[in-house]
Amino acid sequence: MSGVLFHEQTARQRIASLADAGSFVELLPPPERITSPYLAQLGIPVSFDDGIVIGHAKIGGKKIYLAAQVGQFVGGAVGEIHGAKLTGLFKAAARDKVPCVLIIESGGVRLHEGSSGEIAIAETMRAIFECRALKVPTIAVIATDIGAYGGIGILSTCCDYRIMTEHGRLGISGPIVIEKWMGKKAYDSANRALVWKTSGGKTKYLLGDADALAHDSPEAVRDAIARLLTKSSAVSLASVKARQKDLEKRLKKFGTTDDPDAVWKGMGVRDIGAASLASGPEFAALAKRGK
Amino acid sequence: MEKFAKAFPSKPLPSKTAKPWALAGVVGSGNLEVLVERGGRPTDTMQCHVETSIPGYKASWLAALADFAHHYPAGGTKVTINDQGAPPVLVNLRLRQAYDHLTKGDK
Repeated sequence: MSGVLFHEQTARQRIASLADAGSFVELLPPPERITSPYLAQLGIPVSFDDGIVIGHAKIGGKKIYLAAQVGQFVGGAVGEIHGAKLTGLFKAAARDKVPCVLIIESGGVRLHEGSSGEIAIAETMRAIFECRALKVPTIAVIATDIGAYGGIGILSTCCDYRIMTEHGRLGISGPIVIEKWMGKKAYDSANRALVWKTSGGKTKYLLGDADALAHDSPEAVRDAIARLLTKSSAVSLASVKARQKDLEKRLKKFGTTDDPDAVWKGMGVRDIGAASLASGPEFAALAKRGK
Repeated sequence: MEKFAKAFPSKPLPSKTAKPWALAGVVGSGNLEVLVERGGRPTDTMQCHVETSIPGYKASWLAALADFAHHYPAGGTKVTINDQGAPPVLVNLRLRQAYDHLTKGDK
């Protein structure tokens, strides 16, 4: 273990630490200056990569397409250029039949360029399903508190697999949005324990929304990716119906509870205290998720 | 937004660098990104292009950039900056980081 924490790395550092040494080739790198025309019109500073680094690399000698979002730049939000890079990468993955890994850090669509961001996310989802129809593996990594929300939260669930760490969060509406609509009594966004127990990596792993729970280190994330790089399944009517049944069951089981611990218990966690302190595979072992 | 460009006299860059370009920093609140590329002309000036969301500090920018060009052999580089309100000390740090990555590689 290098002692480096994955959630503290920048997008470029994450890519460098996951890919085989020197194997990453960036597509549309910063010197090409493909920046957002909308932000420039609004007098907001642009970024050379529009908040996403894309390219191809090798993991354990196997070629992959790889992207990492830059959460610090407008919350990793998807604008036209950012979205086009994302779409293009998954399309290239389908064309070349090469697995595609997306390291997510995004609140969803960039409101300054909302329509083009929404369209870009829809187009990327279509490209992901194209990959899956061809059995090209698609993997989303969600490992920071910026997490995967809004359109990117939905997009992440279109991929074959999601790898999360305990720092990662996954949802549609973010905690503050839920509080604004439902009131502080219904959901207190300042209650970090509540927020992580409802949208955090551990809970998402228990519920089966995340397929792997990794330690917060580049090595652990890399191992998890390497393990999942081999399989992909097409989306079919039967698979969608089965998923719908699962969700109905979940709603029936937990739909009326106010207590996130009830969800943990219901998903097989006996010792809540020990599970709260455990992370990664140790948590998974304590949980004995029925899957 | 305020934009300006200026070239500053600087000793020529070493003839070999680890890579053709380097990036340091992120465009976030109180932060900036600095892109340093080799291949600028002439080779005894550092060409700078700055875009900042905070207008009115051109004199500070020019002083920080001139200071860097004076202390580092950065002649023949193009320096492009996207800024979201970084303080001068951070501008200096990012310039040095980008220059280090360019000349010695990412470490």
